[in-house]
Amino acid sequence: MKNIDSKGHVTGTSIYIDDIPTIEGTGYGVVFDSPCAHGKIISVNYSKAKALPGVIHIITHKDIPGENQIGGILPDEELFASQEVHFQGQPIALIIAESEQIAFKARKLIEIEIDKKTVITDPREAQQKGQLIFPPRTFSLGNTKDSWKDCSHIFEGKVDINGQEHLYIETQGAYAQPLENGNIKVSSSTQGPTAVQRAAAKVLNIGMHTIEVDVVRLGGGFGGKEDQATPWAIMAALGTQILRIPIKVILHRMDDMRMTGKRHPYSADYKIGLNKDLKIVGYEVTFFQNAGAAADLSPAVMERTLFHATNSYFIPNVEATAYSCKTNLPPNTAFRGFGAPQGMFVIESAIAYAANELAIEKQQIQKVNLLKDGDEFPYGQIAEGVGLSPAWETLVSKFNLKATQKEIASFNKTNDAVKKGYALMPITFGISFTKTPMNQARALVHIYSDGSVGISTGAVEMGQGVNTKMLQIAANIFSVSANRIKLESTNTTRVANTSPTAASATADLNGKALEKACNALAKRLKTTAASYFKVDVGTIQFKDEQVLVNGNTSDVSWNQLVDMAFLERVCLTENGHYATPIINFNKDKEKGHPFAYHVFGLALTEVTVDCIRGTYEFDAVKIVHDFGKSMNPTVDRGQIEGGLVQGMGWMTLEEIKYTKEGRLLSNSLSTYKVPDVYSAPKQILIEPLETEGTDMAILKSKAVGEPPLMYGIGAYFAIENAIKAFNPAYKSTFNAPFTHEKVLMALYN
Amino acid sequence: MATYKLTINGKNHSVNVDEDTPLLWVLRDQIKLVGTKYGCGMGQCGACTVHINGKATKSCITPISSLEGKKITTIEGLSDNGTHPVQEAWKAIDVPQCGYCQPGQIMQASAFLEENKNPSKTEIREAMHTNICRCASYNSIEKAVEVAAKNTR
Repeated sequence: MKNIDSKGHVTGTSIYIDDIPTIEGTGYGVVFDSPCAHGKIISVNYSKAKALPGVIHIITHKDIPGENQIGGILPDEELFASQEVHFQGQPIALIIAESEQIAFKARKLIEIEIDKKTVITDPREAQQKGQLIFPPRTFSLGNTKDSWKDCSHIFEGKVDINGQEHLYIETQGAYAQPLENGNIKVSSSTQGPTAVQRAAAKVLNIGMHTIEVDVVRLGGGFGGKEDQATPWAIMAALGTQILRIPIKVILHRMDDMRMTGKRHPYSADYKIGLNKDLKIVGYEVTFFQNAGAAADLSPAVMERTLFHATNSYFIPNVEATAYSCKTNLPPNTAFRGFGAPQGMFVIESAIAYAANELAIEKQQIQKVNLLKDGDEFPYGQIAEGVGLSPAWETLVSKFNLKATQKEIASFNKTNDAVKKGYALMPITFGISFTKTPMNQARALVHIYSDGSVGISTGAVEMGQGVNTKMLQIAANIFSVSANRIKLESTNTTRVANTSPTAASATADLNGKALEKACNALAKRLKTTAASYFKVDVGTIQFKDEQVLVNGNTSDVSWNQLVDMAFLERVCLTENGHYATPIINFNKDKEKGHPFAYHVFGLALTEVTVDCIRGTYEFDAVKIVHDFGKSMNPTVDRGQIEGGLVQGMGWMTLEEIKYTKEGRLLSNSLSTYKVPDVYSAPKQILIEPLETEGTDMAILKSKAVGEPPLMYGIGAYFAIENAIKAFNPAYKSTFNAPFTHEKVLMALYN
Repeated sequence: MATYKLTINGKNHSVNVDEDTPLLWVLRDQIKLVGTKYGCGMGQCGACTVHINGKATKSCITPISSLEGKKITTIEGLSDNGTHPVQEAWKAIDVPQCGYCQPGQIMQASAFLEENKNPSKTEIREAMHTNICRCASYNSIEKAVEVAAKNTR
C-alpha cells in the first residue's frame, strides 16, 4: 500500500505543530535558560523584561501550582530551575509575549547572577567522584575470571563514542488552548502523548482527565521527542492555566540544540579473550554512560546497552557493567537504537583490535562467533529464529563478497592516493520495551453507519509509516478501500495511557490491538450477515466491500450490512487491547525473557578514502535484512535506508562539541554537520532474508525502526580498513565519530 | 515597518513588516502559506526553499525588502493538486517519511530540472545537497529526480 501521507507531504498541506492556525490572542512563549552549566542562582532580575511593551507575563518556578518536577523515571529534574542550575540551557523561565520577536527581545533584558560551581563533562570523572544517576548494573553469563585460562589471545582496550544531535528538522514545540471549565488542550509534537499529559497534570496540579493531548504527526522524532517534548508542552499548558489564553511555544533551532539532550556519549573499557580457533571465550566490558544532568531516560538506555553488549555473537563468559554518570550536560535521552548502538560499537571495536593484533581480517572473528539458535544471551533469553548465518551466506552469494574483496585489493594495489575499504556489520536487536508493563496498547475503531471507518491508536506518526500500516490492517480485515478509512490524530481522550512511540514496537503493539478490535467488529458484522442469510457465520466473508456467502458474492454490500447491523442495534465501535505475551525480566537476577523477538541482519559497507584530504565517500552498502514477512516493503525499505544513513552520520560526520565549561559549540546547522545527499552511500542494496517471521510481530512483519541504524557502525570499520591499506603503521584508537579531520590524522600518524 | 507589495503564486499581496523580515515568516505568519517550513533559520537545511523568479531560494535568509517586483512561488503554488512532474515522481516512489523537509526538497528539485532537463547522477547530488532530510530519504530523492526528469522530457 502507498504511504497515505505522501500526497499531503508533497503538496505542503500536511499539518505539523507550527502549522496549526493560531487563535486570535495567542501568547508566544520563549524560554529563558541558564547561561552557566553548574551553579547556585543568586538572583534573577526580570523587571526590565517585564516592562517591555508586549510582554504579557514571565512564568518561573514560583508560579507552579503543583510539583516543579518533570523526571519521568526518577524525580530529579525541575521544569524551571529554582535554586541551582545543572547544565547550560536549563530552563529558568518562560517569557510570554504578544509576539515571538518581543519575547526574544525581553529575554535579552533578563539579568541573572549565578555563583558558579565545578563543571563535569566527562563521564569517567563523574564516576570517579561518585556522581552517578543511580547504582551500576551488571549482566553476566558463565565466569569470565575462569575463562581467561582457556584463551590463547587476550586483549584489552578503551573505546570512546560521541553523542548525536537528533536534528529533527521540525524543532520542539507545543500549542495549548483553554477549554471550558478549566480544561486544557495541548497539541504537542511528542512521541509520548501520555508522558506529556501525566507530567503536565503533576506540574499544574490537576487531574489527567482535564488535559487533552493531541498529536497529528511529527516532523521527525528519532527519540528526541520521547521524553524531551514534555517540558515545552507543560510550559504552554502552564501559561494557559495561568493566563487563560492560548500559548504557543516553538523552539528556535539554536535554543533547541542548546536546551535538549542528545544520544549518550559513552566511554568503555573492554577485555576480550579468544581461543586458538578464534572463538571468543570471555568478554568483560565496563560502560561509562554520559547521562547529563538528570536521569531522563538514561536508566533504560543504559539497560539496553547491557542487553546488546555482545551484539550478534555468542560468548559463553560475559561480564558487562554499566555506570550512568551524572555530568553537567543537558540530560541525554532516547535516540534511535537507545543505547544498543554504543554497546555494539564497543564489541565491534574489541573484535577489530583483536583482528589487528592477530593480523587477520575482522570478519574471520565475526563469522566463527555468530549467534545460533539455542544460544543463551547474557540476560538469560534463549536465541530463536536466528538469521545471522543465513544472512552471512546470502550476503556472500547474492552480493558476491569475494569479488568485492578482490576488486578492493586490486584497486588498492594500483592507486596510491585513494584507497578503498570495506567492513561487515551484523546486527541483533531485541524488540520490546525492556520495562515489561510498557508493552501494551489500545485501539479504538468506529464503523460509521455509512460504512466508513475511523481508527484511533496510541501510535504517533513520525515518518515511520505507522499510520499507513494501521490502515492496511483495518483495510485487510474489512476488505474496504483505503479512502474509506481515516487514521485519527493520536489523542489521549480517545486512547488513554499510551506507551510512547518508541522501541521499534509501535506497529506491533498498536497493530495487534487494532487487529483485535477489527476482528471483533468483523465477527459481529458476520453474525448479522449470517442471521440475514440464515447460514453459518463461518460461511461469511468480506471482499471488496461486498459480502460473500460460501465464497459467492451476495447482493448485500459492506455498506448495506453496516446499515443493517446499525438498525439491529449492533455495536459498531470496539476498543482493542493488546499486551505482549511471554515477556518478563527479573531485575534482581538480571535474567529473563525481555524481548518478544530479535531482528537480525548483516551489512557490507564499501568506502573510498581520499588519502590526500582525509575525505571519504561510501560507494555502496549492501544489506541482508530480516524483515520477517514485510507488510509494507516500501515503508520498511525507507526505514532501512534512513536508519543506515543516520547511523553512518553518527559514526562519521556528526561531532558534538562542548567546552570544558559545558557550553555547546556545535550549536547550529553551521557547526554541526549531518548527512546530506553526498554522505549517503551511492548505492544501497537490500536483500530480504527469507524467513517465516514471527507471530509476535504484526502480520509476521518484524519491527524495523531502530535495527538498521546499527548497520551504520560498519562505516567506521570500513574507513579503518581503507586507512590500513594506505598506512600499515596505523593504530586504531576507537574514537567515534571518524571525522575527515581524524581520518587525515590517522592516514599520516 | 514598511509596506511591501508581493506576487506570490500569481496573486498580489501587500504586507506591512520590518524590512529585514525573512520571507519565510511573511509567508507563514502573514500570508498563512504554511507549506514552507522553518528548519534552521540560517540557510543551511533547505526546508524553507521557494522559487524567486524561478530560482530555488532559501526563504529564511531572504529579506522581504529584496523581493518587490519579483515572482515568488511556494509549494502551494507549484501545481494544481500536486500534479507537477516532481510531485508525481515523489508520490510514485513514496519518497517522504516524516515529510517535513519535502516541500523544500521538491522546490529545489523542480527549479533544478527547469535548468537541467537531463541531469547526471552527479549533477543531481550537486543540486540536492543543499537540502537536509534527517529521515535520510536521499536515495529515494535521487531516484525521484531521475524519474521526474524522464517524465518531463
